[in-house]
Amino acid sequence: MPSIDASEVRKVVIACDAGMGSSVMLASTVRKQLKDSPITVEHTPVDHIPDDADIVICHAGLAERARAVVPGRVVVPFQLFIGDPAVTKVVAALRSGGTIDG
Amino acid sequence: MADRNLGELLSADRVLLGRSAADREDAVRQVGEVLVTSGAVSAGYVDSMVQRDGDVSTFVGEGVAIPHGTLAGRDLVLQDALCVVQFPGGVDWHGDEAVLCIGIAALGDGHVPILARLAELLMEPDRAAALRSAATVDDVLELLAPEETPRPEEQSA
Repeated sequence: MPSIDASEVRKVVIACDAGMGSSVMLASTVRKQLKDSPITVEHTPVDHIPDDADIVICHAGLAERARAVVPGRVVVPFQLFIGDPAVTKVVAALRSGGTIDG
Repeated sequence: MADRNLGELLSADRVLLGRSAADREDAVRQVGEVLVTSGAVSAGYVDSMVQRDGDVSTFVGEGVAIPHGTLAGRDLVLQDALCVVQFPGGVDWHGDEAVLCIGIAALGDGHVPILARLAELLMEPDRAAALRSAATVDDVLELLAPEETPRPEEQSA
């Protein structure tokens, strides 16, 4: 399972199928939570995840597609748009340090 | 409408309250029809919304779903637009209950500030409840209006 130290993360990408709905909402929340950090938060369609994404956060139903697009990268699946523990854990690690597995 | 920062994206004629739907697909199709009628999308976009919601639920929590098309369906979007359809009786949404749908058609990122506003609102249970049970179109527009005029970097992010 790939993992990355929070200090190495420069870009977090929130991916959904079309990049126009769910990823937009979650990205806005995560962007706000990370606004005091230098980390960039983007939202994209899952098939267009940029190569410089350090961490990909996407709906559990799309995780396999995301892993195929950026093999070897940390992909964190979530189920809930509000208060998903997986997303909370990533944000906490990015803010206070730690290792992120995916 | 300019004072609410909603611009052309969400106009009063695209907010429908007190509707009912037989099931989830019916609800998605009703939402899609609002976008078709307003000229935001070609008719085929509605099928792509049904497909997208069938693949992965667009339920986002607090009784709200955000049906939108697939990546392929994006070619059928004519202009960025949002719409709101309220189903007070509730609609079974992959095991959750949706009472409010926000339909999305987007080529660009102009709608991002409104969805950001929605995300904030859904984290405040009182305001989320106010949105679900909104009695007037004005209430809906007021709740969803971003507080500030979007900054240029947010529009191009």
